[in-house]
Order: sequence, then structure tokens, then C-alpha cells
Amino acid sequence: MKYVIIGAGAAGISAAKTLLDFDEKNQIVLISEDEKAYSRCMLHFVIAGKRDIDTISFVDEKLFDSDRISWISGKKVTELIFVEREVVLEDKSHVSYDKLLIAAGANAVIPPIKGMEHSKNVFVLRNIGDANAIREVASFAKRAVIIGAGLVGLDAASALLSLGLEVTVVEMADRILSLQLDSYSASQYQRVMEDMGAVIYTGVSVVEVKQNRNGFVETVHLNNGAVLECDLVVTAAGVRPNTIFIPDNSLEMNRGIQVNDCMQTSIPDVFAAGDVTGITGIWPAATKQGKIAAYNMAGKDEHFDDYFSAKNAIHLFGIGTVAIGMPVAPDNSYVEAVWKNDAVYKKIIYKDGIVYGIILQNDVSRSGFWTRVIKEKWKINTSVKNIFDVTYADFFCINEEGEYTFRQQP
Amino acid sequence: MKRIMINKDLCYGCLSCSLACMAEHGKEKTTLYHLDLENKENSSRNFIALDSNNKPVPIFCRHCDEPECVDACISGAMTKDKNTGLVTYNQEKCASCYMCIMSCPYGVLKADDSARKIIMKCDFCGENSMPKCVESCPNQAIYLIEVNAI
Ligand SMILES: Cc1cc2nc3c(=O)[nH]c(=O)nc-3n(C[C@H](O)[C@H](O)[C@H](O)COP(=O)(O)OP(=O)(O)OC[C@H]3O[C@@H](n4cnc5c(N)ncnc54)[C@H](O)[C@@H]3O)c2cc1C
Ligand code: SF4
Ligand code: SF4
Repeated sequence: MKYVIIGAGAAGISAAKTLLDFDEKNQIVLISEDEKAYSRCMLHFVIAGKRDIDTISFVDEKLFDSDRISWISGKKVTELIFVEREVVLEDKSHVSYDKLLIAAGANAVIPPIKGMEHSKNVFVLRNIGDANAIREVASFAKRAVIIGAGLVGLDAASALLSLGLEVTVVEMADRILSLQLDSYSASQYQRVMEDMGAVIYTGVSVVEVKQNRNGFVETVHLNNGAVLECDLVVTAAGVRPNTIFIPDNSLEMNRGIQVNDCMQTSIPDVFAAGDVTGITGIWPAATKQGKIAAYNMAGKDEHFDDYFSAKNAIHLFGIGTVAIGMPVAPDNSYVEAVWKNDAVYKKIIYKDGIVYGIILQNDVSRSGFWTRVIKEKWKINTSVKNIFDVTYADFFCINEEGEYTFRQQP
Repeated sequence: MKRIMINKDLCYGCLSCSLACMAEHGKEKTTLYHLDLENKENSSRNFIALDSNNKPVPIFCRHCDEPECVDACISGAMTKDKNTGLVTYNQEKCASCYMCIMSCPYGVLKADDSARKIIMKCDFCGENSMPKCVESCPNQAIYLIEVNAI
């Protein structure tokens, strides 16, 4: 049997690893546009010059020691011919498969802003090429504008500030990190960024950018009338599943490639995992989906069940935050319990003993159990214990294999 | 593989296990008697927490079969060794992103207390020796068992 995997990101590599471990006789061919496997989540270290492509690798080189896996790297898949079970590469070569996994990730969306087309100093941040290009321009640029203050925008901001650029961040929502954090926890990031010299606009949008004769964007125009001069622009406006090479009307699609919880697409023996499915856009989900896809490709019935993706770990500008579930209570039927001490901020949103959201800032120690508690709606009895003192001990249960499980506290 | 089994009822919260862990993993290995408790660089990988009845509960890394900390790790620093079954941590690779802290379902992980960059991860005190926590427990509340899983 020949397995072909498109993509050497979190999902593709985890699938390859699982197939190597679990299925000991078959061949695996990994194909990726990326020349190397690297972690996108660490690209800001490359911009900042703290790491390079090799030191942001997340893959154990030993993976490729096996002669059961080969890797066609630095080549793009341009077409899929499902009836022939063939993958077509940019050099027109064909690779046949018995089972196919599409793990081609997502692309950054470029916001449709007037004047931005064909400019030479506007970048997204998704691939190593983006990071290298930003670093290159940053070496002579003085002023950078970042459009979008989500996680990727702030990754870029942290790198550019560390390089000493004057950074301006423009965000449409009323605060930075608005999907992840509440006003207070977001303001702590905003404050340190401003202390480092950043200017942050919230509640405004970009209406137009203007290029000079050489194709460099020189000014960014906001809807409040402000005009920002710049030498470098990074847009961080979200991602879209990367499905350009999928023939029209072949696979069933929704946000991305539609899959069931075995990661099977609408065509037999074709699987998809990771950001390309549009189910989630986070690393742990991509890894898990890759694993589930691999098991099912190798004939083991396993199901993906971790659709809970409202969880964020942020460690930028010296502030560490874990935010799980909703960042702000939707109405006043919920309790918002707050605990503050110096720089430490903790907030728990709950109702009738069920926790819906938590923000832990500058003290994230031993907080992982909250992900499980929120995801699975384990009840907290606030009459016997201060909610901020709850730990896994309150749900402790151990089986004879020595594995922990959860048990509802009385 | 081996796992640290826990008999919660035998634990009376003496914290010997946590102190032994700190002594073993400080900059220089030391003993309980010489451990500097004021030094923030000494922190324990395991911990004892009180449940709602104020009973002490030992919370130790399970070296899970399907470790959430490994699935979440963006840098390849956290890996499951298929031969030993151990989930190990590589400080050099680590990006200090805290994804693993957020993802461990039992809330075992934390960063070090001084620079907050290094993840405090149980390493079983090396592959072949007896973990110091187990060795130091006066009550056999924690002890090693052999399990089938890997
Ligand atoms: C800057 C940044 C920071 C992030 N930070 C975090 C974070 O802190 N935590 C978190 O959980 N998530 C984070 N994410 C999201 C996380 O990186 C993704 O969810 C994850 O990488 C998805 O993995 P994937 O394997 O589905 O896709 P990708 O990692 O995007 O991999 C896709 C692979 O497919 C290949 N490919 C694409 N098209 C083709 C083609 N036509 N032919 C051949 N190969 C192709 C690519 O070369 C690549 O190897 C971040 C993302 C970015 C961009
Ligand atoms: S840190 Fe947590 S998730 Fe990771 S192996 Fe240990 S118990 Fe399992
Ligand atoms: S903090 Fe380090 S070990 Fe933990 S998930 Fe991030 S990179 Fe991996």
C-alpha cells in the first residue's frame, strides 16, 4: 500500500509519524511546498533573528531514517486526479497513491484594501518565505504598520519591536486580542507594547494605502482620518483553508474540505486533516487530526472528538496568559469572579457551577485541567471551595493502569 | 512501561516527594538537608494539592499513552519515547509558548518560578533509576508499577 501525504505541517508530520509507528510494512510519500518542516508558530523568532529555519523545526530528524518514508520537498501539488488516484506536481510529474491525505494547511487572507495590490513591502505571516522577507525589509525599514491585532499580528509586532522599529498596530475591534482576551487582560499587553514605543489604534479600520512610484506602500489611511507613514506593512487578517489545487465539484466542501470524524472526505481513500478542513485553526487539533487520519488510513477505527478550540496560550512581551472558553460573559446571568494581585490577573466565568471561560495572566502554573473542566463541563461546587483554589485534586480518580481520569466531586 | 501509582489514602501531605524532586533537579543535585527553599530556581515537577475535603492528593505526570502536552507542543520539545514510554522535554527546542501547560488535562505542568521559560516536566529521574519522589515517600502512597501501555 502506498500512502501519499500532502503537507509537512503539524497535521502531515503527525500523520507520517503515526503511520510509521503503527503500520510496519507500507510506503509513505510526503509531498510539501515547504522545503523544510518548521513550526509556523515560531516564525516571529525568525523575523527577530533569534532562530532560523533549522531551529524552528519541530520534527525529529530520525523520522526520515526509515526507508519506508520518502519526502518530495519544495514542490507544489497543482492538481489531483481522483479517478486515476494521482497527484500532479508543479513540474508535471505524477505521483500515484492508494490512500491520500490532504494536509495542506491554510493561507493568510489578504484584506481587500485599496492600493495594496502588487506592493513590494506588504506581507502576511504564514510561511518561512514571509518571515524572511519581513526580516529583509525590516533591516532597512524604520516604521512598520501591522493591520490586525490577533495572535499573528502580535507575533509580528513583538518581533519588529525587538528589532527596534517604530510599530503601529491597527485593529478594528475595540481592543487588541479581542477574540482571546477581555479588556483588562488585553490592556496589560497594550501597556507593555506602548512602553516599548508602539502606537495602537483600536476601533478603526484601514480604508486605503498609497504606494510610491517604486511600488512601496508609504502611507496607510485610516477611517478616522489618520495617515500613518510606513516602510513596511504586515497584514494579519485571518486565514482560509488552502484548497486551490482541489478540482471543482470533486470533494464536498464547507469552510474547508469536509470530513467526518474519521477524517474521511467524500471520496473513498481520500482523507484531510488540519487547517485545510476549516474545523479548527490551532496546532494541537492539527496534530490530533493527522493522527486520526493516519489510523483510519491504516484501517484502525479512531474518531476525532476534540472540537473545542477556544483555547489560547500567549507568551509575548514577557506576559504569559492562558485563556480558555469565552473571554467575556455574554450576559449578567453569569458570574465573573476576578482575582488580582500585582501583575497577576485571573478571571473565571461560571453559571450554576459550570465554568464557561477562564483567563489566567502572569500565573498560568498548573492550569491545564481547566481545559478539560471547561470542555467537558465538570461541575465546581463553589460552596465548599474558593473557585480560584480548584485543582485537578478536586476531580481526582486513578485507574489500575495508573492513568488519571475525572470524577465529579460530591 | 513504568508508571508512578498513587494511593491517595496513604498520603498525609508531608511533601517529601516534592522536596526530593526539587533537590534532584536544582542547578546542582543536592539532598533534602541542603536544599535552599528560598531559591526560586528550585521548583518541583510534582505537587500535592488539597481536594474539597482537605485531603492531600499527589498530582504527578502520568507519561500518558496519548499525551496532550505532546500533541500541543509547537516546537517538538515535548516528545513521547516509544521505547521507554516516557514523555520527555527538551529545553533547547522549547519556545516557552505555554501550549503544553494549557493542554495537560491534569494541570501538572508549570514553568520555572524565576525566568518562567523552562517547563517543569517530570523526567522520571532518568530512565533507569528509581524516581526520587518514590524513593522518598515514607508511606508508600506513591510506588512504581509496570503497565502494558506504551
Ligand atoms: C504566525 C503564526 C503563529 C501561530 N501560533 C500558534 C500558536 O501559538 N498556537 C497554535 O495552536 N496555533 C498557532 N498557529 C496556527 C498553527 O500554526 C496551525 O494551526 C498549524 O500549523 C496547522 O497545521 P497544518 O498541518 O494543518 O497546516 P500547515 O502548518 O499550514 O502546513 C501545511 C503544509 O502543506 C504544504 N502545502 C500547502 N499547499 C501545498 C501544495 N499545493 N502542494 C504541496 N504542499 C503544500 C505546506 O508547504 C506545509 O508544509 C499559528 C500560525 C501562524 C501563521
Ligand atoms: S504533562 Fe500531563 S499530558 Fe503530558 S504526559 Fe504528563 S500528565 Fe500527560
Ligand atoms: S512551552 Fe515548550 S514544551 Fe511547552 S508546548 Fe511550548 S514549545 Fe512545547
